Amino acid sequence: MSTSTTTPPAASAPATSHTASAPSKRSTGNVIMAIVSWVVGIVFFFPVFWMVLTAFKQENDAYTNPPKLFFTPTLEQFKEVLASGAGPALLNSLFATVVSTLLVLLLAVPAAFAVSLRPVEKTKDVLFFFISTKMLPIVAAIVPIYVVVNELHAVDNIWTLVVLYTAMNLPIAVWMMRSFFLEVPGALLEAASIDGASVWRTMREVVLPVVSPGIAATALICVIFAWNEFFIAVNLTAAQAGTVPVFLVSFITSEGLYFAKLCAAATLAALPVVICGWIAQNKLVQGLSFGAVK
Amino acid sequence: MAEVVYDHASRIYTPGARPAVNELDLSVEDGEFVVFVGPSGCGKSTALRMLAGLEDINDGAIRIGGKNMVGVPSRDRDIAMVFQNYALYPNKTVGENMAFPLKMRGLSKTEQDQKVKAAAATLGLTEFLDRKPRALSGGQRQRVAMGRAIVREPQVFLMDEPLSNLDAKMRVGTRAEIAALQQRLGVTTIYVTHDQVEAMTMGDRVAVLKLGELQQFATPAELYDRPKNAFVAGFIGSPAMNLFEVPVADDGASLGGATVPLTSEQRSAISNAGLSTVTLGIRPEQWTTSGAGSKGVSAQVTVVEELGSDAFLYGTLVTDPSQTIVVRAAGKSGAKIGDKITLNTTDSALHLFHPESGERL
Amino acid sequence: MTTTIEAATTPKKPARPQSGPGSRADGWTRRFPLLPALVFTFVITQLPFIVTIFYSLQSWNLVRPGSRHFVGLDNYIEVFSDSQFRRVTLNTIVLTVGAVLIAVALGLLLALMLNRAFPGRAVVRTLLITPFLITPVAAALLWKTTLLDPTYGLVNFVLAPLGVGQTDWISSFPLLAVMMAIVWQWTPFMMLLILAGLQSQPTDVLEAAGVDGASNFGIFREITIPHLRRFIELGVVLGTIYLINTFDTIYMMTQGGPGIASSNLPFYIYQRAFLGFDIGQSAAMGVVVAILTTIVSIFALRLIFRTFSGNEASA
Repeated sequence: MSTSTTTPPAASAPATSHTASAPSKRSTGNVIMAIVSWVVGIVFFFPVFWMVLTAFKQENDAYTNPPKLFFTPTLEQFKEVLASGAGPALLNSLFATVVSTLLVLLLAVPAAFAVSLRPVEKTKDVLFFFISTKMLPIVAAIVPIYVVVNELHAVDNIWTLVVLYTAMNLPIAVWMMRSFFLEVPGALLEAASIDGASVWRTMREVVLPVVSPGIAATALICVIFAWNEFFIAVNLTAAQAGTVPVFLVSFITSEGLYFAKLCAAATLAALPVVICGWIAQNKLVQGLSFGAVK
Repeated sequence: MAEVVYDHASRIYTPGARPAVNELDLSVEDGEFVVFVGPSGCGKSTALRMLAGLEDINDGAIRIGGKNMVGVPSRDRDIAMVFQNYALYPNKTVGENMAFPLKMRGLSKTEQDQKVKAAAATLGLTEFLDRKPRALSGGQRQRVAMGRAIVREPQVFLMDEPLSNLDAKMRVGTRAEIAALQQRLGVTTIYVTHDQVEAMTMGDRVAVLKLGELQQFATPAELYDRPKNAFVAGFIGSPAMNLFEVPVADDGASLGGATVPLTSEQRSAISNAGLSTVTLGIRPEQWTTSGAGSKGVSAQVTVVEELGSDAFLYGTLVTDPSQTIVVRAAGKSGAKIGDKITLNTTDSALHLFHPESGERL
Repeated sequence: MTTTIEAATTPKKPARPQSGPGSRADGWTRRFPLLPALVFTFVITQLPFIVTIFYSLQSWNLVRPGSRHFVGLDNYIEVFSDSQFRRVTLNTIVLTVGAVLIAVALGLLLALMLNRAFPGRAVVRTLLITPFLITPVAAALLWKTTLLDPTYGLVNFVLAPLGVGQTDWISSFPLLAVMMAIVWQWTPFMMLLILAGLQSQPTDVLEAAGVDGASNFGIFREITIPHLRRFIELGVVLGTIYLINTFDTIYMMTQGGPGIASSNLPFYIYQRAFLGFDIGQSAAMGVVVAILTTIVSIFALRLIFRTFSGNEASA
């Protein structure tokens, strides 16, 4: 996982071995391509870099034309952001993210088992159902959700978000976990069964250790989605249960003219998922494509 | 069609480490069928891929029809290759797969069709031309891969273990078909396999490789009768040749309490090399068996492989149970596990190798 | 990790012989682990939608208590005769299709670039995926302030030598500004998807094409592009499904404005429901959006199932 490249060395062969005839010409081309790749990577990343850089500026360094690259860094903006209510928002986000992810795993792992290794009849229909809920736009359901949540006096309650985030991530988790379960060799299960292990024991002692990296990747993907979620949060929370994205929006309304402070807030909001995403980068596609692509 | 020359060609992945192929030096004649054989990691596939342009030639040269191929991309080498896993284009039909090399050379559609149809007829693929590879069986896919190679009428065919994904029976049948096809087309062919039976049955000449080094390049009969070293002796032939390290006596070699007679030339070769021990090689069929108690090498049978026409007896020497021995006996001889047998050889063509270098004496 | 498409066993594969399948008790021990997730998902995601349909048939505005009554399809008639709704639908299509296509095109280029070995490739890949990970609200904020600010933004600073001057992107080209931010965030996703496709290509097939006389471009056109087609299609449908729901970026950057110039359906429905408190109307729009999405989803589901079960025998 992490940042390692996964291509086997042979995968680069088509690019290199068929190209230019003379080795020198080939290596010049490679150097140029490497430089281009680095430049493109840096250009794409630059806004993020700039955001983090600006977060360490004084306000008057943030407002310059031409933009300033060198300045005396300060932590003042972070302090001010934390002083103006980011703390509770971070805690809310952390709670909603972690608890919903745990719930998702609790529900998804057995469900994925039941649509892969020990399948129920109509497995395909079940899978279809799960994925189709993901295709339904949340905006089409938000009105009654709001009405019901309001009736239950659960508006601005962090548990409301926990429940909704669990429902939001559950289908992805079921599909992803299923694709990991299917990688477990059938012979392994048959061996466990011949050795006399019960279904539960097989699951716990044979299957789970094999798929644990998959569970970790699934959890990270759920964390990313839950942390970044905004639509549900902005509609169903206010001062009490507001998460980081909600805080960020209120912050831009009140502090819209202070670039450095905004960048500090945005950095705080984005940092946790960026790190999770870097760790999970090899499984990102698998999660987002419902396990269809590895 | 052309001859192929490896001129001290080397493939070095990591400078300083053992080369994957070290100064391979051999010439393949025009129209010849040559097999590269050896255990895994011997460099046979690498050597083939160097010829194909899929691996760099780090040192030396490879020439096809007299033209140096160093730095020439695969597409300009006028070769065709059959890959181990066939490497069919999954999105193209059988017909399109076979037409692809022609299309890439800019042949007209009618010419493509004509050649593909002819090749398909030769290989019995006519009815599958519109199918996708995934709808074919393993044997059919193998034929498509062959077809894609022959439509081109290239200068050289390269085949990288093309039969290894077929079941045993089909492998034997296809083996004969490939050999016959090559005979008919007369195209220079280099064929890589790890299976010495394939090598012996198919090749005009066989190159045996080990750890990147060419061991011997000769006809199958020569390899069998006069292996250049102990490795080739042990690798070619099934079951493998018996190899014993034995002390040399006056009139022969001492083995299992008996003396195996050696010819005067063999004895003088040993004394010229100044050796007191020697590696003695005896093929399973060079033994004659008799019952217990007679004069000769006595052994105890541990395994009997009854094949009907003949039987292979595996055993250990009575004088040294750690020393195993293989004997070909007549079929249905009635030998049983635990039997004591006596072995003799009258064959003058026994093999002697240097006990350290393994070179033939 | 492998980067091949899963040669998945089809879901209908026979049960493993652990305990005799088919018996009633066995059926329930199989179903039991599935039930909590199934029930939970149904209750939280499907019931509200059914209720949405029910609401959409009523006239109901929260600011006028007691106004709630059944009106049949009136809300739908009103939705379809609402010129703003049509404009917003058009915006949604332009935004989604535009962003998806640009992101796929850029993603393809980046994936080809990353498919070559070069020093620091893993680092460059990490740099490239970062925009996708940034919280969308934070990304939108970043674009609105440090990048697109007319006076101090980096974009204008970079473009100044080209004579673009002090363009106020967000008020002059609001939809384009939103699209820029979205493309920046979604290109990495397309890149990863297509890269997974490139790396799942069997090496020997590419080598065979080279031996068969294809040039690099020939290999790309004849072998790589057909192989990538499925991945690109998947990227298009998945991107469409995710991006049709775009809300954060619009909320943060433009508030759908000026007027409704950069509103899409989710944002417009949000405004009607949570700022206009018109439950009946917004529910009807929700249903319409759901139907539109379902059309895309059918393609998506078919593709995902095909990707899951199609590759099995192509080795």
